[in-house]
Amino acid sequence: MSYVSLENSEPFLKCFEVIAEDKSCIVSDSVLYFSGATGKGFITAAGIPTGIDILAVNVSMLTDDLTFNFLPSQSASSYILSFDEIGFPGKTDNELSLVSASMPGERSGSSVSITDSDYGKIVVYPKEREIRSLIVRVQKSSLGNLIPDFDAGTIQSIMASANSPSLNWPITFKYRLLINDFMAEIVQHPFRELFTIRNISILVEYLLQQFFVMDKLGKDGDYLSGQDMHNLSKVEQYLCANYRTEFPGVEKLSRISAMSPTSLKTKFKKYYGETLFGYYQKNKLEHARKLLDGKVPVKVVATEIGYSNPSHFTLAFKKEYGFSPWHYLNPQ
Amino acid sequence: MKPLNLSLAHQRTDIEPRSGPGPLFLKRLPVGLTITGFRESVDWLDITVPPFDEEGLALVFLSYKGDLQIVLGNGKDLMQPISPGLALLSAGDKPMLFRSVTPVVFSAVVLFLSRSWIADFMKSNGNFEKIEQALQLDPNIVTCRLGRRQLSLLSSILAYDPGSGGNLLEIQNNALGLLEYFCCHRHRNLPGAGAGEAIGNEDDLSLIKEVESYISEYYCSDQFTVDSILKKTYTSYHKLNFLFKSIHGMTISEYIRNKRIEKSKEMIADNAKSISQIAYEIGYSSISNYILAFKKIYQITPGKYKKQISA
Repeated sequence: MSYVSLENSEPFLKCFEVIAEDKSCIVSDSVLYFSGATGKGFITAAGIPTGIDILAVNVSMLTDDLTFNFLPSQSASSYILSFDEIGFPGKTDNELSLVSASMPGERSGSSVSITDSDYGKIVVYPKEREIRSLIVRVQKSSLGNLIPDFDAGTIQSIMASANSPSLNWPITFKYRLLINDFMAEIVQHPFRELFTIRNISILVEYLLQQFFVMDKLGKDGDYLSGQDMHNLSKVEQYLCANYRTEFPGVEKLSRISAMSPTSLKTKFKKYYGETLFGYYQKNKLEHARKLLDGKVPVKVVATEIGYSNPSHFTLAFKKEYGFSPWHYLNPQ
Repeated sequence: MKPLNLSLAHQRTDIEPRSGPGPLFLKRLPVGLTITGFRESVDWLDITVPPFDEEGLALVFLSYKGDLQIVLGNGKDLMQPISPGLALLSAGDKPMLFRSVTPVVFSAVVLFLSRSWIADFMKSNGNFEKIEQALQLDPNIVTCRLGRRQLSLLSSILAYDPGSGGNLLEIQNNALGLLEYFCCHRHRNLPGAGAGEAIGNEDDLSLIKEVESYISEYYCSDQFTVDSILKKTYTSYHKLNFLFKSIHGMTISEYIRNKRIEKSKEMIADNAKSISQIAYEIGYSSISNYILAFKKIYQITPGKYKKQISA
């Protein structure tokens, strides 16, 4: 088991030395590549002098658990945001939901969280998994560089009212898509700083949206049990993975989640802030938008995401974004 | 920092100037960039992006419908037609003047990158240093052609309305997206700001170059038609037209006509040949066609033009 601990003020780059010593790894240009013996993938760090540090972890098949321990420190107060997606390797998305469904005790560990670094944070990446994770350390003073009209008090008070140094949310398709894009490009990107700051800025936007939506939802209802959350995340994964086929129907989803249709619907809405179909549709159309960005013709996109008729796709797209795919491509 | 100085000079008196022109907004983004947006729909346009007080780089993202030209330097040298959907990077203290003499729908977003911001974010980035080196060369502008995605980012930035509490974070994300795109897809320094390497695809570029050289060789011949180009290069009319439109902002036949008329203008200035002779020499089979074409471009008949310059 490799164990890395970092002082709050130390740059993330430093942990590479520790890992590289421990395992057979190659470090080049602030990217740490795992050689086949201990795992596959890379870890990279990027920092921007204005007080933002990013550690991007994209590894699979680790032979050992990998633990990062961010030690608490009073000198530079910051928030640690982490965006983790942990899946099972070698399985298609479709099988994935079945696998996790058959292992009730197993937590998927995919989540988004914000932690006050005054309390420290330990992140464990389990072995034999597919891990995509972003850890962002933002100094409290420089969070204002990302968010307009930043009010530190609001976040502080929400965290205080939850009575916890750390807040967790489920990961949603928006994060997934962004993290996938991020991991695909970060190593080779010619303007790593710019690329990083743009993506972090978007992530922070998502996080804040969720922050306030969830805060509101949390106030007017009781909290969900751990088992519920786990079951809901299975449903969410299933919906995300099956965007190409038609909506599975509440019946099927309720079997996956082991809940009654009615309680699934209410709990899902509470946890993800979206209805089941709304979530499925948003994910589907977000995929469509990515395809459109890649210059795929509208007709092909429609078939690709599972519409038999392009005009149905156009209607759905228009309903979601307010403009048709054609107008998306030809903004003027 | 001084705000953008916007002058919307209406040189023709018969058209009422639009009241209260100005940037849609001027904001300092949380990451430290300054952003302004313009959207104008006017009969005449004369917009300057003047020197900023602070040292840095100005990055202009342009989109327009109409006929726009850029004037570099102090306004006297270099008048270049530019193509729509373009990003132009120049030093913050070098003014850029955008001018149109015909009705134009003009929209632009200007990002200002201060020196200290560059030092913070681009510290020792070799790729960015290359861009800055390219900026040292004449005409001190680095350009980049925008794609559809970027144009939609541009229009969503321009939809921002600070009055009704728009989302500044979203603007910031869009602006960073544009900036990143520019850095990754910048082109080398171009003679003039825009033409030439505006199309990313190498094949298309070489095709255009081939067609251009073919045109400049044969455009005066009366046998010369657009069809003959198509036969020679094995392309479709639509494809060629599309490429021409995106590079030169005009169709291929307009391009040929402009070339012919320009040539004829030179010949008139030489004052050695009659108008009808010139018309036949540049490939027009009928003199009235030639006069019409000349009038369309210069709003004056060739005969009157001849009198004007000889007077």
